[in-house]
Amino acid sequence: MKLNGKSKAQILGLLFPGIFIFGMFTVYPIVRLFWMSFFKWDFGSFLNQEFIGFRNYADVLSDENFRIAFTNTIVYTLVTVPAQMLLGLLVALLIHSVSHFKIGFRVAYYLPVITSWVIASLVFKYVFNTEGLLNYFLTNVIHVTSQNIRWLDSRWGGMTVAMLLGIWKGIGWNMVVFLAALQTVPLELYESASLDGAGSFRKFWYITLPGIKATILFALVMLTIGGFNVYTSTKLITGGKPGHDTEVVLTWMYYKAFSNGKFGYSAALSFIIAVVLGILAVVQFRLMKAKDEG
Amino acid sequence: MKERKKVLAILLASVTCVAAMAGCAKSPAEPVSDNKSQETAQTSETGSEASGEEVTINFWHHYSAQSAENETLTSVLIPKFEEENPGIKVNAVSHEWADLHDKLLISAESNTLPDVARLDSAWIPEFEKMGILVPLNQEMSDYTEVAGGLLDSAMSTAEIAGNQYGLALNTNTKILFYNVEAFKAAGLEAPKTMDEFVEDCKKLAGTNENGQQVWGYDEPGLSGWNLCPFIWSMGGSLTNEDQTKATGYLNSPETVAAIDMFASLYKENAITGWNSGDIPMTDGFGTGRYAMLLEGPWKVAEMAGAYPDFAYETAPVPAGKGGSISVLGGEDISMFNSANKDAAWKFMKFMTSEYAQEEMAKCGQIPCNKEALESDTVKQADFAPYIEQLQTAKSRPTVACWSEFDSELAAAVTEVVNGDKTAQEAMDELAAKVDGLLAE
Amino acid sequence: MTMTKRNSRDVWIILLLVLGLAIVVLPMIYMISTSLKPNGALYEYPPKFFPKLKDITLENFAYILGQKKFLGNFLNSIIVSVLTVVASAIVSSALAFCIARYAFPGRRLVFGFIILTMIIPGTTMIVPQYELAVKLGTLNSIWGLIPFYVAWVIPYSTFMIKGFVENIPKELDEATFMDGGTVFTVYQNVAIPLAKPGIASVSIFNFLTAWEEFPWANTVINDDLKRTLPIAISGFFGQHQFTQWGYVFALSVLSLVPILIVFISCQRFFVQGLTAGSVKG
Repeated sequence: MKLNGKSKAQILGLLFPGIFIFGMFTVYPIVRLFWMSFFKWDFGSFLNQEFIGFRNYADVLSDENFRIAFTNTIVYTLVTVPAQMLLGLLVALLIHSVSHFKIGFRVAYYLPVITSWVIASLVFKYVFNTEGLLNYFLTNVIHVTSQNIRWLDSRWGGMTVAMLLGIWKGIGWNMVVFLAALQTVPLELYESASLDGAGSFRKFWYITLPGIKATILFALVMLTIGGFNVYTSTKLITGGKPGHDTEVVLTWMYYKAFSNGKFGYSAALSFIIAVVLGILAVVQFRLMKAKDEG
Repeated sequence: MKERKKVLAILLASVTCVAAMAGCAKSPAEPVSDNKSQETAQTSETGSEASGEEVTINFWHHYSAQSAENETLTSVLIPKFEEENPGIKVNAVSHEWADLHDKLLISAESNTLPDVARLDSAWIPEFEKMGILVPLNQEMSDYTEVAGGLLDSAMSTAEIAGNQYGLALNTNTKILFYNVEAFKAAGLEAPKTMDEFVEDCKKLAGTNENGQQVWGYDEPGLSGWNLCPFIWSMGGSLTNEDQTKATGYLNSPETVAAIDMFASLYKENAITGWNSGDIPMTDGFGTGRYAMLLEGPWKVAEMAGAYPDFAYETAPVPAGKGGSISVLGGEDISMFNSANKDAAWKFMKFMTSEYAQEEMAKCGQIPCNKEALESDTVKQADFAPYIEQLQTAKSRPTVACWSEFDSELAAAVTEVVNGDKTAQEAMDELAAKVDGLLAE
Repeated sequence: MTMTKRNSRDVWIILLLVLGLAIVVLPMIYMISTSLKPNGALYEYPPKFFPKLKDITLENFAYILGQKKFLGNFLNSIIVSVLTVVASAIVSSALAFCIARYAFPGRRLVFGFIILTMIIPGTTMIVPQYELAVKLGTLNSIWGLIPFYVAWVIPYSTFMIKGFVENIPKELDEATFMDGGTVFTVYQNVAIPLAKPGIASVSIFNFLTAWEEFPWANTVINDDLKRTLPIAISGFFGQHQFTQWGYVFALSVLSLVPILIVFISCQRFFVQGLTAGSVKG
């Protein structure tokens, strides 16, 4: 199809708003971020920045607190991603196999996803308070511990609460995605397997799992990115305390920029996260493609 | 089903409509700037209220959003000021204490500072160093007259190198609050010395009739505001007199002993409060879970509001070998360079006037206005214990790096109370770090 | 498999699902029940999951609804979310349509950046974006939030809608051209109507994104009256103050209402959108 001048102008007209907004508010900041990361860019020197090469990167990588935050983020991702996927898949399998209330369950299990991070974080903070309902339940009702557990007061206690929140909030999304995938697996495969006398487990392993492989990889990529996105929950639940033990990469980046005024440091940190995620995503996409073709 | 379709149809219809109207030739979501705020920004730059234009001054403060102070500010003081000064509107913005500091730093970088702010006096050196505060004594012709009506001791918190960077708005210090019933039940009287304080904390801690943990003392943080009364009363210090050196002071045996006292009381479950999961101070005190606090005059109004039936008494800070020394609090009201100076100055004078100071005294703010201090309201408010304690109270180091110093201090002490380091190790390291900050 | 066997298996699975659901919705029920307790009972002993019937009170809701500023916060959130949804639907569908249909110069570059920005967390850009907002003078303004939100949701929205547009047979475009149509008419009469489910599903997602966004709004908005709901909710916390959990949760419950309405009324499309995305990868 040959395009005449008018069509070309119209295509340009359609493209312009999107490219303008996207370019100005997303692409430009990314380029700017890269630029900023090579300058000493602090409070008091906002206007006269000094080029310092890779020193910001060196500062980030040698910073004890960054290492803590990075480790926390990795642990958060390694724990929440598989947990959400497994639980989401389990719920999806159950919903898929019942013949009643399918939509009702689907909607109800999705509720945590649409509860905002701010609200969910505050609810978890309240429930896991040292004097909160959960500790009362554990000590006074089912007596598994005699002393209140100080959930919010230690590094791994605080991270546990953040991770539980992440899992709780993520099950619904995984459920919907896997439910959709399960519907695409051809029924005939199950029927013929039944005729061959295959049990439920064998059917799951040899038919269901291969059938939803693409979706599993899709979810893996999306959730890994999501894991690195954790911010609001740790910010509101522990505020990074005690010390900076429960910071994650984004809260630490924010703290350095907006409380310490080290904008150059934060830019370098952001860029490191972007590169790490880029590599992870490329690896996962490759994996996805290879499996698709294989 | 039909409902759903309807909602969606409406949504889509509006989307397509707008798309069609826009003809997609121009961006429907071009950044719309807030005309109003730009206007006010412009008027405050030109600052011509004589022309009859309305001026809005932005006032940032850290009276908590739900407090009596904020209520008085927004529904009594500002309306009164606006009535007396037609043509000036005040836009008051409440921030949390730590947020206010950070927001001001950021705003300074982006030239979006408010006109006036209520500042913790500990921040003044830092902001002065950044060059964003107006030296009032140089720029305001009636400065001497205004300053003469305010307490000299409080005014000194805003003075740097002979220049005055704010008006004293309120002064305060912390004294000991204690739970009368808990003390009676334990057969104790208010601790007079630090040794007694330690003993009392241990005796008062334990479990109540519900089997819940009870603590002798609550300290909601581990920064200078929280630790200084203990460090100073026990004879320690943060820096030398000239505030140029920390080694030998911050890691002196006395300072280390104060930190050790905190850590060992915490280990014995006798004190708590700074952890994220702890009961907030007022609730813990009002429900009998914390037997003692060090707090300021505002606590009285807060307790009356939240726990009106709760019986408590106050006493001076327990004395150690350094004496009974509390930390000097208090806020100054300051003007930023970018302000509409005429309107801002009028508002600052209003806030430090007898009327405004007396209204604020009703919610527990100790006035700095000499006339207000003599008023019946103040006499009834019974600020006597605080004013007594103020005689010996000391201010935190008045250095530009205080905020960073303060957060380093909190981080170091956190490591000590959590048992990661000994007090001596942590303070030695901290002192070296602070020496560097002070030298900058 | 006999009918009864199947039925009894169903009953077991439903029981299991209900049990799981109970755990999932527990925190939300606790939030609602706490919002109905008197403020003083929040550190009560023993803590109760439900308040006693006679203790149930609407005082927290009365307080919230009685404060003009919270109504303002509510309106701010509605305005920001609706405008974000509308603007991003138009802009992203146009982008998706062009990318799917026309080999304009730079197409690969644009699409490459779209994929790239889907990977990078939005919050990492907060420093340069803050600087940009300063230059544009959009700090402390709800209008200043919208272009940033639109820019954030463009990559995902465009990616998803593109999938839908690619499924529309090209013959429809050609037929429209034969009838004297132009690129605009194809976009308006073919692409938009047929990609409806995709646009609807990303719109729900975008609504949620704008409705709950926290870090950016918290950074750029100062005035009480200009805050959006998440900022207003988190604004209840002061370090040295006592926290009024009753108010916090009353406002939280109220802020969940619009999102629930949007989600429940459109959930069918939501699932469709996710499905298309997951299958296509």
